[in-house]
Amino acid sequence: MSTEQIGLWAGFVLTLMIFSYMLGDNFLYRIAVYVFVGLTAGFITVVTVESLLLPWINGTLLAANTDIGTRAVGLVPFILGALLLLKASPRLGRLGNIAIAFIIGVGTAVALVGAITGTLLPLIATTSSGVRVDVVNGFLIFLGVSSTLIYFWYLGRRTPIGEVHRGLAARVVGVVGQGFIVVALGAIYAGAILTSLTIFSERISFILARITGG
Amino acid sequence: MSRLGAAFTTALVIVVGIMTVLGLAVGEGLGNLSFIVQTQGLPVITDLFLQVVVITIASTIIIGIINLLSVHVSRITQRKGGWVYSVILVVSALAVIVITLLERAGILTGRPSLSAILLETVQVSIESALAGLVLFALVYGAFRLMRRRVTWWAMLFTLILIILLLGALPLPAVNGLASIRNWLLAVPVSAGARGILLGIALATVVAGVRILIGQDRSYRE
Repeated sequence: MSTEQIGLWAGFVLTLMIFSYMLGDNFLYRIAVYVFVGLTAGFITVVTVESLLLPWINGTLLAANTDIGTRAVGLVPFILGALLLLKASPRLGRLGNIAIAFIIGVGTAVALVGAITGTLLPLIATTSSGVRVDVVNGFLIFLGVSSTLIYFWYLGRRTPIGEVHRGLAARVVGVVGQGFIVVALGAIYAGAILTSLTIFSERISFILARITGG
Repeated sequence: MSRLGAAFTTALVIVVGIMTVLGLAVGEGLGNLSFIVQTQGLPVITDLFLQVVVITIASTIIIGIINLLSVHVSRITQRKGGWVYSVILVVSALAVIVITLLERAGILTGRPSLSAILLETVQVSIESALAGLVLFALVYGAFRLMRRRVTWWAMLFTLILIILLLGALPLPAVNGLASIRNWLLAVPVSAGARGILLGIALATVVAGVRILIGQDRSYRE
């Protein structure tokens, strides 16, 4: 039996162990899950080291004919990583804030630019241009998008007794928006069911192929 | 000293954040701003910032995995409850790492490689089986939704769910449902999804701007 065949039989046994969860939580299911977590941790380590850390170290710290500045830059992420480790210490935890601040600064900027150029501008452009292509459906999409946004608009007037009241128009449009959100979530749920059904049937055919030798 | 440290942290976030925004967003055709950004080398600095953050996060991932393994090794040495599972986890993780090291050293030379077989037959099998199990949770969740309390929204949700599932069937008897399904996906679902995405994007912009102008400083805690 080849190594590949052994791997396929291991996959078959582990699939059955995972499906044993349908009978309730049991030790076979747990074994399979712990194998999964262990393999995932191993593969993440390998990919992270081979694809990110080693190229960085070879390109900066161990690079031939490079200046001291490049080597110093090569050390920065590892110093930041070490500072993050200090967050666990009550006395030196504040030093970890420097690394957090750097990551938050860059992360915020990337999220901000990504949200504007990747989501806001393209969606606004397609939503507004849709009305010109198909008036009825374009208007329905425009209504759905704007009412959904109004549903998420939590501004209201606080009364002297502390209750918050939204205007009648905002509430009515918000209900329409809620309807569009329910329809969208229902479609996402249906998509998730169809996807998991496809994967489940693929697993069943895999099990049958192993049993019948197909 | 702590106030000075807090001010330094906030200043670092603002400076790094604004430099990165300028380096990423400002291209050609913005007059003086483009000229300043290009002459100061901000795109190069932004690229360096991004690489440093990626490598920092990569090093924290490795620290996290070392922590995971050390927690399970301590469970094994102290014979705590479920230590057998910890043995399985540690052995699985070390097996992948050792096999890959042996392959890179040229000691294991089989084709396809053992690590590729582990990934494609074992890892993918478990992942697919777990994803397949989600089916039962999703169907049971939909069933529970209507069983617990019947509301107009729950009815609309279930109706959309049934139409979309039946409309996906490749049967001539449900051709009408298929066209309704296509319209639903193209118009109301698209509108709702766009609204949700725009809401998330607007919230991201608001939160990002609050951090960049120093209004939100919760990261200092």
